[in-house]
Amino acid sequence: MDTVDWTLFLGRWHPVLVHLPIGLVLGLLFLEIVAALRPRKAVVRAAAGPLLILLVPSTLAAALCGWLLAGAGGYDAELLRLHRLTGLAVAALTVLMAVAHAFRRSGWYRFLLVVCALALVPAGHYGGSLTHGRDYLARHAPSWLKPLLGGRTGAGPATGPAPLDPAAFDLYQHGIQPVFDRYCISCHGSEKAKGGLRLDHAAGLWIGGDSGPAIEPGRPEASLLLKRMRLPLDHDEHMPPEGKPQPDPADLELLAWWIAQGAPTNRTLAELTPPAHLLERLRALPAPTGSAPASNAPQPPSAQTPDPSRMPGPEQIHAELDRPGVAIAALAATEPWLQVNAAPAGARFDDAALERLIALCGPRIRWLDLGGTAVTDAGLRHLRGAPHLERLRLDRTRVTDAGLAELRGLTELTSLNLYGTAVTETGVAGLLRLPRLQHLYLWKTEVTSDAVARLLAQAADPTGAQDRTAAAAGTRSLSIELGPPTGGVEPVAGVPINTICPVSDKLADPKRTLWHEDRLVAFCCDDCRETFRREPTRFTARLAQLAQPPPGQLAQPPSNPLCPVSGRPARKDITVAHDGRLVAFCSEACRDRFAAGPGAFLARLASGD
Amino acid sequence: MNPLDEFTRRLTRRAFFKTTGLAAGRIALATLMLPELLRGAPSDRGRAHPGLPGLPHFKPRARRLIYLFMNGAPSQLDLWDYKPRLQELYDTDLPDSVRQGQRLTTMTSGQKRFPVAPSVFRFAQHGRSGIWVSELLPWTARVVDDLCVIKTVHTEAINHDPAATYLLTGSQIPGRPSLGAWISYGLGSEADDLPAFVVMTPRWSSKRDAQALYQRLWGAGFLPAKHQGVALRSVGDPVLFLNNPDGVDAATRRHMLDGLAQLNQIAYERQGDPEIQTRIAQYEMAFRLQSSIPELTDLSGEPQSVLDLYGPEVAVPGTFAASCLLARRLVERGVRVVQILHREWDTHENLPRDLSLQCRDIDRACYGLITDLKQRGLLEDTLVVWGGEFGRTVYCQGELSRTNYGRDHHPRCFTMWMAGGGVRGGLVHGETDDFSYNIVRDPVHIRDLNATILHCLGIDHRRLTYRFQGLDQRLTGTEEARVIHGILS
Repeated sequence: MDTVDWTLFLGRWHPVLVHLPIGLVLGLLFLEIVAALRPRKAVVRAAAGPLLILLVPSTLAAALCGWLLAGAGGYDAELLRLHRLTGLAVAALTVLMAVAHAFRRSGWYRFLLVVCALALVPAGHYGGSLTHGRDYLARHAPSWLKPLLGGRTGAGPATGPAPLDPAAFDLYQHGIQPVFDRYCISCHGSEKAKGGLRLDHAAGLWIGGDSGPAIEPGRPEASLLLKRMRLPLDHDEHMPPEGKPQPDPADLELLAWWIAQGAPTNRTLAELTPPAHLLERLRALPAPTGSAPASNAPQPPSAQTPDPSRMPGPEQIHAELDRPGVAIAALAATEPWLQVNAAPAGARFDDAALERLIALCGPRIRWLDLGGTAVTDAGLRHLRGAPHLERLRLDRTRVTDAGLAELRGLTELTSLNLYGTAVTETGVAGLLRLPRLQHLYLWKTEVTSDAVARLLAQAADPTGAQDRTAAAAGTRSLSIELGPPTGGVEPVAGVPINTICPVSDKLADPKRTLWHEDRLVAFCCDDCRETFRREPTRFTARLAQLAQPPPGQLAQPPSNPLCPVSGRPARKDITVAHDGRLVAFCSEACRDRFAAGPGAFLARLASGD
Repeated sequence: MNPLDEFTRRLTRRAFFKTTGLAAGRIALATLMLPELLRGAPSDRGRAHPGLPGLPHFKPRARRLIYLFMNGAPSQLDLWDYKPRLQELYDTDLPDSVRQGQRLTTMTSGQKRFPVAPSVFRFAQHGRSGIWVSELLPWTARVVDDLCVIKTVHTEAINHDPAATYLLTGSQIPGRPSLGAWISYGLGSEADDLPAFVVMTPRWSSKRDAQALYQRLWGAGFLPAKHQGVALRSVGDPVLFLNNPDGVDAATRRHMLDGLAQLNQIAYERQGDPEIQTRIAQYEMAFRLQSSIPELTDLSGEPQSVLDLYGPEVAVPGTFAASCLLARRLVERGVRVVQILHREWDTHENLPRDLSLQCRDIDRACYGLITDLKQRGLLEDTLVVWGGEFGRTVYCQGELSRTNYGRDHHPRCFTMWMAGGGVRGGLVHGETDDFSYNIVRDPVHIRDLNATILHCLGIDHRRLTYRFQGLDQRLTGTEEARVIHGILS
């Protein structure tokens, strides 16, 4: 059983039917003019009747078909609104005209006829703009006529090639996109997207349209875009269609070379050098005139939103994936990018699920969270299908160094989370070549802090041809997060466990202290200290409420019985923290000497313990 | 009488054919013209918290929010706003040129004098950014390079109830949805078996009775009720009556809930009350919480090194430290908004004692939260916000002495900090005058703060609206609110 989309089928009869009312209204107008000039008015006017009988149904049919066609989508919203308004006005006026004629109100009839003919002008113009673009008439008009026809003045390319700065010349933005702008976006742009393909921003290339992605990064011979452009001119499927301006063969070569490089959208001429003749071609291109921003920039809310009905939405992908616990959402409403979080699915999300996910929407995923899932090294192979990943979380998975090798193709990755995995320095070192990597999380891995220092040094001072890209980019600053050093707290001199006096509940003075059950307690004054010393049990409950023991060794009493400076017996309440533990002294003078230069006394300290 | 019953009774057969006959034709034409009507709403397929289509409005910087609300108003002069010159002005009167007629609360309006009370606490600079932090927050000072300290937040409200309502729901008049409810409504949540918006109200150490908290601070207002915050209890079971009663096993419970859902669905088709849908959703969520809450609160898998980050209180349920650890576990599991409301910062008297006790509650835990989020790589897409509902006055309330004083409410400037997703760390935004009374540069109204929070999550605060009472209501209200771009990375 064939399912027919009636809206689309009937809608496409609009261009067929709409010319009939146009011709008939103008014909009726002509009849009235002739009748005004000729003596046999009645005969001429009688011809209007049958024409009106033909006019009204055809106008209504054309309006209905037009409405259905609009529902199919792919048209600029603002133009569509105007065309719809004026078109409906024409339809309404024709009905009123017919009514006036039927009631023999010739004055009204003539008035309505004139208004209807006037309404035809904008309606037809907007309709034409919808199909052929706003500047269809104006593009090749003489410049004095352009403003009248709604053309964009000064929209031509800037004069002459500007001096080419390789570091500022973004290969895609300034070299490839202008080619599309010139030859393709009149039918594959924001106002009209034939076959569902949009070529006005980078994502449109790999999302593609009804026939699939437009390009295969790295394989120009398999890219549909190039295949169609290279067909013979009289072939049905040759693009751009016959009758439209055709690109230069050098442009095709440039496209082929760019696709062969992997279709990068974030490289400058400083990083990738095309062959000499293509470089000449690039130099000859007009200077960038602030054309459409790259798809990564946040689009302002406007009428030019990509039609969501053309791409499978997150809900559809979620339905097709059919795994509980995977959250798929758009990254931003106006862009095709997705954020996927599979962490809530946990162990239910495995390599097979990852493969299915990438197959459904791989090129659109920007943020992917696989933390705590059952993904393994074998599954990471599938990430080749998600080349535009920006943030990837693989924490707490069974990924190892072998899997990390599969990530080397993710050139747009800025953040990678590997905490809680079994990766080592060797695996991570291979990732440093990723040009955009800024954040690396390696807590609870086999990577030590020394290894991190080595990795950072390697990242900052790259050797080898491929690392020149990072150095040339100059903007990458890698930070590796290992977590706080375990047990490493800056030594603080004689830290008491409380800030409030347990006797008086006033603020305690950290210098008025007492050792109680191997913990240092502070008091606000000497009286309170004496009170506590005489009857500690009265206040231990309150002390337990107020106490916050300092971490690690500083909570332990000093272990050296002899003062390392003088050799005399040490007092436990004159201390200084050194190397993570407390050292006791016989007097404050000795303590100050030690604090000024501990090195001299360390030997005695070590032997004294 | 039930208005719905009245409505159905008024619809006689004659009236039905008169009005509905034509309407049927209209509907048919409409579905032909607008094919989306026939397509129906996309099925959620088990997504418990789907967001609105069309959100995020632009690429977000953060995906989650942890809001640490210090109810009662912490004193910015004793914690963050370092004013050394005040030491010379001890016990002098606050000049009128500074006060500029700011209204007083009834607690200090009877005072004859308004003597300046400098802070007894020592300040020091910390981190690479050199931000001044008082000695009451030594652990928070360790992570100050990740914080953006905003010193010039201001509000109009001068008392706790309207001020907290203003900060968290966008208006001093109650009845509006809270920040968390708006975010849950707009973005949904990624976890299917936990609520989208979780609230915790830990205990406090200050020796005073605290201001009450109200459910409206995390309520859903006029939004569908399923967007309200779910408050985990601090003592005993986190969620009451979660466990099945004796004799009821999970399969029986499931069977009962399925039947109940069918009954509710029939009632919904009859009455059309959207709250029935909420109720169906809440029963379903409660069933899922039966398994997810015990897993969430089971800390046996946490290594001791992680527990040590939060301090010794983390093992005691109901403390702020324990709440912070739960907050981290919640966002790890995909919860969108976690809000912890810590009470009794309202130091009208005995400020040195009470503020020290309060800071001990939260200081180590804030350090632990930021560090734990950072080492797991969660800080880069989690936004953490800390602050109260207004600030405290520079003049003393009650008896002033060198070691003891109190401070009254002060709405004209106070300090909050933000960290994480999209906010620049190690930054101080704004400047107050020498009395920490007026704002000199870069004021940030709490509406601007809320707009910035929404902006970090990828929401344009002007476009997240809900039509109610004829108005497209939004969190930031009808007055203008700007996003503070200077603090965004």
